[in-house]
Amino acid sequence: MKPVSASPLSPSVKVKLLNAGFLTSEELLQLKPLQLSKEGGLSLEEALEVQQILREGVDLPGEGGAGLGSTALELLQQEERSIVTFCSRLDAALGGGIPVGKTTELCGTPGMGKTQLCLQLCIDVQIPECFGGLGGEAVFVDTEGSLVVQRVADMAQAAVQHCCLQDQDAEQRDALKDFTTESLLGHLYLMRCHDYVELLAQVQLLPDFLVKNPKVRLLVIDSLAFPFRRHFEDLSVRTRLLSGLAQQLIRMASQHRVAVVWTNQMTSQLRGGQWELVPALGESWGHSATQRLLLHWSGGRRLASIFKSPSQSESSVAYSVTREGFRDAGQLASSPSGREQDSSSQSESKQDSSSQSGSKRPRTQEGQ
Amino acid sequence: MASKKLRRAGVSQELCELLNRHHVESCKDLLSLTPLEVMRVAGLSYQNALALMRSVSQHCAPPVTTLLELWKPKSESFFSTSLPALDDFLRGGLPLGTITELAGPSGCGKTQMCVMLSVLATLPRALGGLDAGVVYIDTESAFSAERLVEMAQARFPEHFSSRERVLQMASRVHVFRELTCQDVLNRLDRLEVDIISTKAGLVILDSVASVVRKEFDTTLPGNLASRSNLLTQEASTLKYLAHQFNIPVVLTNQITTYLGNGGGGVPGEGDSGYVIAALGNTWSHTVNTRLIVQYVDARQRQIVIAKSPVAPYAVLNYTIQKEGICLDGDNQEPMGEARDPGLQPIRVRTEFKYSLSQAVGTDGGS
Repeated sequence: MKPVSASPLSPSVKVKLLNAGFLTSEELLQLKPLQLSKEGGLSLEEALEVQQILREGVDLPGEGGAGLGSTALELLQQEERSIVTFCSRLDAALGGGIPVGKTTELCGTPGMGKTQLCLQLCIDVQIPECFGGLGGEAVFVDTEGSLVVQRVADMAQAAVQHCCLQDQDAEQRDALKDFTTESLLGHLYLMRCHDYVELLAQVQLLPDFLVKNPKVRLLVIDSLAFPFRRHFEDLSVRTRLLSGLAQQLIRMASQHRVAVVWTNQMTSQLRGGQWELVPALGESWGHSATQRLLLHWSGGRRLASIFKSPSQSESSVAYSVTREGFRDAGQLASSPSGREQDSSSQSESKQDSSSQSGSKRPRTQEGQ
Repeated sequence: MASKKLRRAGVSQELCELLNRHHVESCKDLLSLTPLEVMRVAGLSYQNALALMRSVSQHCAPPVTTLLELWKPKSESFFSTSLPALDDFLRGGLPLGTITELAGPSGCGKTQMCVMLSVLATLPRALGGLDAGVVYIDTESAFSAERLVEMAQARFPEHFSSRERVLQMASRVHVFRELTCQDVLNRLDRLEVDIISTKAGLVILDSVASVVRKEFDTTLPGNLASRSNLLTQEASTLKYLAHQFNIPVVLTNQITTYLGNGGGGVPGEGDSGYVIAALGNTWSHTVNTRLIVQYVDARQRQIVIAKSPVAPYAVLNYTIQKEGICLDGDNQEPMGEARDPGLQPIRVRTEFKYSLSQAVGTDGGS
């Protein structure tokens, strides 16, 4: 059984119990409250509370039985669906889409389409199950203010039309009745945080929100970097807050079966005499997300590169952002510029050069 | 919100005093601790420490809404620029509650655009305006009241036909001249009061780059970080105010030379070098919409939509007339060649040989 010093009691109570000579929680539970209060030097209410806490036996809230693992077979059978991105090549590279139950990071320079991809995912998660979607809801935590409702309405409308154009059976026709622009907007929860304290507070409250709204399958934070890129007198405080945040998000992802997606910015770093663009928030932050996507320019096209993933190979995929939203690259009306812009390759991060194998796609593939 | 005292966040008096002894006074201090630290500092059990953090979070966290509740008609979510093609791309105009940046070389028309937007903001809603005041923070002393009046009368002659209407419009534009970084910061601190008292519907900061570049020499160590810090602080304040009052904020920015070893693949463009919007990468992330103005030739200019949450990359030609910015009738290239918006090769004035009408001798090839 557990020693008293490691139990989740308040410090003052612990000190009193240790001074009275109690060593394990088993000893504490064997006594009745009156006896405990006399021997431990506690008040009656404190003694009762001690026994209640110890009897619950569960240390962390919502963890539900620490130590219950699962076999790999059980995990395989669970078959969590992924959220499609509507860019078929990217979905293929990701093995179906953005995985539910894991955390994904999107990095990129401004104007690449990170927010657009996040909005597209918020819409795609709501696609009814009979169309291959998850039929869930989405939560969007906005720290930058780039969310323009009109844009989301346009993307929602395009998605509804896309589904209407598909071949339908009775079940799908039925589902379409509830799948309208209004319902899409109605199931997208928005939280606007102006600084990092509001963000921390919001993330504290999110587990309760997810319990109250069990249909939520996607949590987007756009962007995670902005509130933390201000001045911190002590940089270690920032690192600590960020890792705490990462922990909470990872726990939320697996416990509540949601896909957690956040966007990161790029920062300039002096490396070997040259200024390069690397993902912001520091080296240690790179470990927090399960999967990382980098959106960048290369030779006049927009590419999405997977540069960290435990299950997919590193590869790059071309995409575009149209009026309808985030789509495959071939849907651009005009063909990309033929001029090689050398300086645009400066903005590719150092990590990308490690994914040499997949990233060199023949340029003739472009422009269908 | 963050600096809210714990006492007002529903924490009991004795607990507050206990926490104060450990220098935990505001919500920010409490939420920056881990649960174990809260246990130690507040003397609570683990469950109670978590409950305390949750209740304090509830006082700090923003309200939750759905997008459906926020969906408003276009007139209430966009500020029309009165340039129909630009409004079309931007799906209505400058989005309210966001920051729009105008970057470009000198003399291209950024201040003209700002003056034009000031006129538009004071117009009644029937004419597409916001029927509100304007807070114009001028750091370059470039604002000219005569130009404001001239533009108003030339652009909307019937509306500004009477002298008193002109005077009324001019009295709604409040100009603040701030010439140092500290002055700008102080002004931004007081901006909330100014917005309320002037009933402002538009905030213009012209320009955000000039004071910062005058005072921060980024080649000196440490200056880059403190400059970034200052800019992020300014941006946070402006975003917060834009969102709370649901008004657009317009900033102007300068340009700088990009010192990469690229540019080799752009031959024969009459290139004056590779220039990009100033203030660096972090700043590019903070603005929501970025419009770049540049020269086509000595008279023709272009607006490029380089970054926008709603609009695709687009290029529009315009000229500057008496009535302000005038878009060319035939706006070609709705979808120009997509380029890296962070590295726009902006053309500058020195590229163009333009003969002055009474020039003495010929300019020998520049």
